[in-house]
Amino acid sequence: MNGKYSEAVEKGRKILEASSCDYAEIRLSSSVGTGISLSGENVDSFTIGESVAGSVRVLKNGSWGFSTFNDLSMLERFFAGAVSSASLVSPVEKSIIARGTSLRGEYKTEFKRNFMDVTPDEKYTLLKRYNDILRDSGSVQTTRAGYRDVNTQYTFMNSEGSFLSYDKMYCGISLASIAKRGSVIQPSHESISGYGGFEIVENKDHLAAGVVKTAVDMLDAEPVPGGTYDIIVDPKLCGVFIHEAFGHMSEADFVYENPMMKDVMVLGREFGPSMLNVYDDGTLNDCAGYIPFDDEGISPQKTSLIKEGMLSGRLHSRETAGKMNEEVTGNGRAISVMRQPIVRMTNTYIENGESSKEDIFSSMDDGLYAVDVIGGQTNLEMFTFTAPYGYMVKNGKPEKMVRDIVLSGNVFNTLKNISMIGNDREMFGGLGGCGKGGQSPLPVSFGGPHMKIKDVLIGGKK
Amino acid sequence: MRDMIEKVIPEGVRWYDAVHVSGKSTPVSFKNNRLYSLSESENSGFGIRVNKESRTGFSYTNETGNAADAVRRAIAMCSYGDVENFTLPDNAAVTFEPYDNEITKFNISDEISCAERMIGDIKSVFPQISIDMGISSSTGTVRLINSRGVDVSYRESYYGLSLSCSYVLSDGTRIETWESRSELKPSDCSGLKDIVIDKIEKALNVEKTDSGLFPVIFPPQAFGRLISFIASGFSGVSVWKGVSPFAGKKGEKVFSEAFTMTDNPYMEGSPFSVPFDGEGVSASKHFLVRNGVVETFINDLKYAERLGLAPTGNASRGYSSLPSPSFHGIAVEPGEKSFEEIIAGIDRGIIAEQFIGLGQSNTITGDFSANMDLAYLVEKGKIKGRIKDCMISGNINELMKGDFTISKDVERRGSSLLPYCFFPAVSITA
Repeated sequence: MNGKYSEAVEKGRKILEASSCDYAEIRLSSSVGTGISLSGENVDSFTIGESVAGSVRVLKNGSWGFSTFNDLSMLERFFAGAVSSASLVSPVEKSIIARGTSLRGEYKTEFKRNFMDVTPDEKYTLLKRYNDILRDSGSVQTTRAGYRDVNTQYTFMNSEGSFLSYDKMYCGISLASIAKRGSVIQPSHESISGYGGFEIVENKDHLAAGVVKTAVDMLDAEPVPGGTYDIIVDPKLCGVFIHEAFGHMSEADFVYENPMMKDVMVLGREFGPSMLNVYDDGTLNDCAGYIPFDDEGISPQKTSLIKEGMLSGRLHSRETAGKMNEEVTGNGRAISVMRQPIVRMTNTYIENGESSKEDIFSSMDDGLYAVDVIGGQTNLEMFTFTAPYGYMVKNGKPEKMVRDIVLSGNVFNTLKNISMIGNDREMFGGLGGCGKGGQSPLPVSFGGPHMKIKDVLIGGKK
Repeated sequence: MRDMIEKVIPEGVRWYDAVHVSGKSTPVSFKNNRLYSLSESENSGFGIRVNKESRTGFSYTNETGNAADAVRRAIAMCSYGDVENFTLPDNAAVTFEPYDNEITKFNISDEISCAERMIGDIKSVFPQISIDMGISSSTGTVRLINSRGVDVSYRESYYGLSLSCSYVLSDGTRIETWESRSELKPSDCSGLKDIVIDKIEKALNVEKTDSGLFPVIFPPQAFGRLISFIASGFSGVSVWKGVSPFAGKKGEKVFSEAFTMTDNPYMEGSPFSVPFDGEGVSASKHFLVRNGVVETFINDLKYAERLGLAPTGNASRGYSSLPSPSFHGIAVEPGEKSFEEIIAGIDRGIIAEQFIGLGQSNTITGDFSANMDLAYLVEKGKIKGRIKDCMISGNINELMKGDFTISKDVERRGSSLLPYCFFPAVSITA
């Protein structure tokens, strides 16, 4: 932490003590990061860079003022700017917020090997090793191997007397092989990330080997025929499914000022079968969505979203909790100090059920096993998520490999069509993340066990 | 800036170039039909690229006063770079600035009143609707400096308005739709409310559809998303990596003659125009596809050298990243028929406005498969209502080889200028 940063922190404390706003918060960050990107035989980029950021958010007379800047020595000016922005208008309907308790704490990511002490040479050598594995097939046209680490000093303080600091260390890799035969081009991709040290990305040869094998295997797979299928999703796809098909609906900013959505999202409403339990848990410190405190200075928690098939909770920021008169949940998050916190998920998952993976497969005579995930999207009524590949299932056995599985459905119907939930839950993160309100990517994780869903629409030619 | 850099740069460095960007913006946001927040933002940053012994290193900072450290880091990173032997331009001319002085007339109170009127007008039609709006004005300066004597800067201005509506019916059915405009100066965007109202009104009645091949019209925004899959194959990067379906096909006719696509840095009124690219190479209009024939792959200096092509002036660059090839503004040449004429000729077909999950397929090859977020059924030339719970899929590269009709009406969406496009047979799964 340099002198300018420490000065800004001290200045911030004094400004907040003297402030007469309804609520005010100052967030400051200073980051140093390394990024390496290899592609085929080339080094696309190898960068070490640094950035600082500051922001002020104030609530005055029910109106928010926000300012962002990178010259931390100008904190007073930008604080005054945020106050005058908030004062400029007198809104008819005012923002109100839930009050938090005054939190104080210094948090630091635990690690085995500090990536700040690992030489650029060693980072490069490790990534090159993975890239060589990704290229290790005559059918591979090109590859993308990315490494990223960032060490951020983050300070949060507010007018309620909270003062929180977080020495955060985040790193990960992203690995892709692109196989080609004639005009058929098949990419395959895998990414891992987390809070910790260099150990997160070491010893991952098997990941790279899996990526290249899948890309090459997919050259021989046919696109899945379109239609309605009974499907089995693997734990990763299960995680994306619950994130897209339900998680976003549980974010209270879609509900709190929308009477129609309030009717739809009534606590206690049946959303799925009684074996379905869904949680969001920001306290899981080995997952990419972990936060020691949210970007509004609220502690994270494990929130039950669906309990035995019934809607049991939702995710809140200070504002949505205040408006709905519910408890805060620690889900006010921003992708950086430069953005305002909004309601976001952390680590979201379907809890284990009773069935074994074997039970689930043996119950399926004719269907589809969808594996891995490219992405997902929702409009809170309908959703899609895409599995790069999968297998047709006949009489309980996965058989022919198929590719390009774009699954789609209605949120409400599809959750009710969950017919079996496995007992082999896993969690997944990665260097990407979730996008909402123009803020992307936010580190989140998602997960679940193997799961069977009836009647899922899959796009494509018959 | 030059003195600071050259003080740190050792003898024997082949070249360097650096960018400094700074900007101010004042975004206003409305959430759930009401004014939510007013913001101000002021940011700057510095990035430097150094070529030593033919290898390039790069670093950046946005901490004022730390630029010399960034230069030192860039020099230290050179040994990891690939061999690059291109030379930088020795001059760059500011032939115009993507800047309009009218931006200084941006008045927050007026904008708020105008937005409140728009929200009021939409609510008078749909009392239960939830509307979010964002209005932003920004100005900035880009400065480029290099070891061959270039030291130029230009101003930028930007005015943007986005309107996003969410209308939930009692059965949980949602109609989500949005419109946005980006301009060089404050502009009257109140007409967007009528577009949004019209889109929602047409979607209230839901029609059934079945699986099969249907005639489909993609409006400009939707067509632009599909065209972007084709465009990505015209980047020098994907050609070099051998993943472009068009690599090695320069001069070949791979699309229908009716398809002409350009990259144009000088689009009238577009805030995304630039006088030169991120490396100081002058930008100009290029035909990517002319009458179905593959013509130009866009590149920056690095990919021009690798591919043995002339630089096209397409280096895009922020302060925190190396330059990389990107399009200035994709434009698809308009056709003869108006949208009204096209729709009048449809007996039973679909207008596909918005998708969920488009772009999660194998887009390198042109494949798409997505849920129809907002789509309309057309019968006997008239819009009958919305179709939903169905998917559309196909391959845009193949579609552009066959029969299609491009409208004469074009609309600018972001940096792209796009027509409506009609295809006689696209696969729908219901």
